[in-house]
Amino acid sequence: MRPLPRDLLLLGLCLVLAVLPVSAAPQYVVSLVLFVFMFIALAESWNLLSGYTGYVSFGHVVFFGVGAYTTAITMTRWGLAWLPASLLGGVAAVGLALLIGYPCLRLKGPYFAISMLGLSEVVRLLALYLEPLTGGGMGISRIRPPTPDPTPVVYWAMEAMAVLVVAVTYAIDRAQFGLRLKSIREDELAAEAMGINTTAYKMYAFLLSAFFPGIVGGIHAYYLSYIEPDSTFALLYTINMAIMTIFGGRGTVWGPVIGAVTLYLVSEAVWVRFPFLHLVLFGLVIMIVVLFMPRGVLGWIATRRPRLVPAGKEL
Amino acid sequence: MRLHVQLVVSGLLQGGVYAVIALGLTLVFGVMRVINVAHGELVMLGAYTTFWVFALWQVNPLLTLLVSIPLLFFLGMVIERLLIARVVDQPEVTALLLTFGLSIFLVGTALNLWSADFRSVESPMLAGSVMPWLWLPGLGWLQVFIPKPRLISFLLSLLITGTVFAFLKYTRTGKAIRATAQSREVAMACGINVRRIYTLTFGLGAALAAAGGSLISLMLAIFPEMGAVLTLKSFCIIVLGGMGNYAGAFFGGLVLGLAETYGAFYTTPQLQEAFAYLLLILILLLKPSGLLGVVRQ
Amino acid sequence: MKTRHVLWVLVLLVAVALSGPTQAAEPIKIGAAISLTGKYGRTGEYQLEGYQLWVKQVNERGGLLGRPVELIVLDDKSDPATSVKLYEKLITVDQVDLVLAPYSSAVTYAVAPVTEKYGYPMLAAGASSTKIWEQGYRYIFMMVSPAEVYLEGAVDIAARNGLKTVAMLAENSLFPKASAAGTKKLLQARGMELVFYEEYPKTVTDFSAVMLKLQQLRPEVVLANTYFPDAVIITRQMKEYNVSPKLYAATVGPALPDFYESLGKTAEYVYGPSQWDIKLKTPGNAEFVKAYTELHGRPPDYHSASGYASCVMLEMAVKQVGSLDRDKIRDALARLDTTTVFGDYAVDEQGKQLKHKMVLLQWQDGQLEIVWPDELATAPPRFPTPPWEQRG
Repeated sequence: MRPLPRDLLLLGLCLVLAVLPVSAAPQYVVSLVLFVFMFIALAESWNLLSGYTGYVSFGHVVFFGVGAYTTAITMTRWGLAWLPASLLGGVAAVGLALLIGYPCLRLKGPYFAISMLGLSEVVRLLALYLEPLTGGGMGISRIRPPTPDPTPVVYWAMEAMAVLVVAVTYAIDRAQFGLRLKSIREDELAAEAMGINTTAYKMYAFLLSAFFPGIVGGIHAYYLSYIEPDSTFALLYTINMAIMTIFGGRGTVWGPVIGAVTLYLVSEAVWVRFPFLHLVLFGLVIMIVVLFMPRGVLGWIATRRPRLVPAGKEL
Repeated sequence: MRLHVQLVVSGLLQGGVYAVIALGLTLVFGVMRVINVAHGELVMLGAYTTFWVFALWQVNPLLTLLVSIPLLFFLGMVIERLLIARVVDQPEVTALLLTFGLSIFLVGTALNLWSADFRSVESPMLAGSVMPWLWLPGLGWLQVFIPKPRLISFLLSLLITGTVFAFLKYTRTGKAIRATAQSREVAMACGINVRRIYTLTFGLGAALAAAGGSLISLMLAIFPEMGAVLTLKSFCIIVLGGMGNYAGAFFGGLVLGLAETYGAFYTTPQLQEAFAYLLLILILLLKPSGLLGVVRQ
Repeated sequence: MKTRHVLWVLVLLVAVALSGPTQAAEPIKIGAAISLTGKYGRTGEYQLEGYQLWVKQVNERGGLLGRPVELIVLDDKSDPATSVKLYEKLITVDQVDLVLAPYSSAVTYAVAPVTEKYGYPMLAAGASSTKIWEQGYRYIFMMVSPAEVYLEGAVDIAARNGLKTVAMLAENSLFPKASAAGTKKLLQARGMELVFYEEYPKTVTDFSAVMLKLQQLRPEVVLANTYFPDAVIITRQMKEYNVSPKLYAATVGPALPDFYESLGKTAEYVYGPSQWDIKLKTPGNAEFVKAYTELHGRPPDYHSASGYASCVMLEMAVKQVGSLDRDKIRDALARLDTTTVFGDYAVDEQGKQLKHKMVLLQWQDGQLEIVWPDELATAPPRFPTPPWEQRG
């Protein structure tokens, strides 16, 4: 309908935010915003599958981790530069998604969620076990030389990923593709009866939502220069993707962005100042959001101030 | 051959406790259609109850079951009333996420209260092992080796599982729970107070988790983050046995115990934890209704 | 309208993030991220308590360079990747003047590039894997004996008593693997046979399968390359599964007082190496133990002593330099040759420890006794360990 300048404005704001701090701001703030971008990209990717089609994945970190390991291995073994190595990480994630997508997407609801969780655990254990390839529990270190400082480059890369994933989601949301994904979420059988090839559409969404975390994982590995299985395949990544999306609003373009920005900054502030308290507060926040704002912040605003958000637009 | 007998015995002993824990999870799922992600954390609370009652008052660790079970039963009912009741009619995902928040909350609370230290329950009466002779057809007499804590916790697991089965089968409330699991509407029409059944069931699930926690604390270390793995293993077991299938949970527990013992013995302990997940994925792909499951709808 | 809302949220959050705490320039700020929760939590806490004792004492003495010392502590949750982030934060946001080391080789290994990047000298109080010092870092110094010699005393006692068959376990991470690799070489040199070697991941809490294998193999010696929690579980399950070697030692665990607290009499006869002991006659050791016990309500373990000593040596270096010039402090630490409560210290040009010596302890009637080397021993080793059924 209308060209929706609002959304474009927000996109522009992201760009401004991106340009702003790299040179001037203190390093910690730069790395903070960098992680916000990372989580925007991750949460939005999760949203593409789980928000739009309703197939909740409890193991999405597996794509992030596979991307990280692919990047680390190709960089240290083949001497690849970080950019092609990260892209290769995305390709590897898509490869894994292709392999498991067809059987796993036949499963519904909690079965799918848990089978993805199982998958991520198996891959983590494999990363621990396949020592000649992955370095086992010692991980892979010195992925890049200690100098020069990679922060500016990584900052740009993460920002580009965040903008890219949001833009892709935006495009999908406006296109028929998005509508079909939503129809799968609302009633898969009915969607199929209407002639939508649900298997194919689920698969496309799945591959896309695996591809971006793969690249992001690669960039992250390059940034840290050190990866090991437990923190690379940490359940906490999946948790963050899910909670950020749900907090902001599932199946919306801007929900995951709002969720990622808010929750990442809040959790960062909380757990650095009170090392023992952050888990308690985090748990409480999740419960409160799920109980009282089930449609996320966007949905909440829509209910409270219906004039602000046109009905039906956000969900 | 002696080796295999020994491995089977060890596997079954391991599986017994898994079965108790998984029974709690499947009971709640069967009746309420809620996957309680915080189930493992309830196990953790049960284990800590045993530890503290034992550490503070030197009570026989087996008797601590009499504290942990009622305590968690009550806590489970409170949790149901405060939290779960609000989401029971909503899409499965909502409850999944709510209980997930609960699990983080409980882990955080435990860390604050009791620190990240690993604890264990040491009691002379539970130390050591027994070495009974078994007669097996075709093999004759074989001596097997059984650690005492494992034997005791296995026997108690059987007792607890049996009691729960009997309760579900013969008592009025048990029948009401099963009726509600089969069809909420029909149960309501028959005059069953479904709200009350939900609260009771969740309490019962938490009590079973507590029992499992107390039993596990006889064998393994207790620490705030111990729950997550147990939640996952319980999922694996109830999928294995068929979601909401009580007998299936019991056999699923034994199967997982066997699979882990054999797997770790013949490959490496490095992959021990993977067998649960591999089994889970295989079952989900090959026979999603579970080994004993009935296809619903 | 909606856009404005979102904008406000963003602006507010960025403002919150940017504001941070404002600092007065007065105290010297020293930062440390250390494991307070998770797998390394127990040992990390001891190391931190060592830091805290020094901070208290130095402030009572009138501070460092006449300025009070403020310690900023963050919890890395036993996660190397988190620790990397935290040191980055300590250095760039809190702008600490100096840093203290994290606990465990794996975490130190991950953090070393960060402290190197910013030129912060660090005495690695909790890292013993030589691999860290083979990367060409200039700002990190080794304080403890290397992982490779942790089990030297145990191997020596076993060899002297003619034991031949050895089973070994190792957690699949940096320090246990390094100590396993070193021990393998020691075993070869003494002509002993490694009949069983298995690694396990950090998350395993059940060793039944390993115990069943050991039941079959009946090794004379069991050596476990562990951290505290797995050492406790392995010891416990050895009893349950009636695995009775003549000598059993674990790298980290037995030397901690909590080991006996967790296991009671099951801990008897267990050997464990230590970088330090309460009974050692190092200068000022008795006073250190007394002050520590008064402050923290429990006696120190060797992680406390190394943590404390790392602070003391940092203080020495700062005083030598007379300022907080980190490059000069680095040079002073590289040249330093001294003895603290923790024992001797001097490093080679890579920063590897040259002088520090380990001892081997054994639990005897609820007491940790030094049983090796002979010249430092407080009691002879109780050898061999009797089978479980003959123990009370």
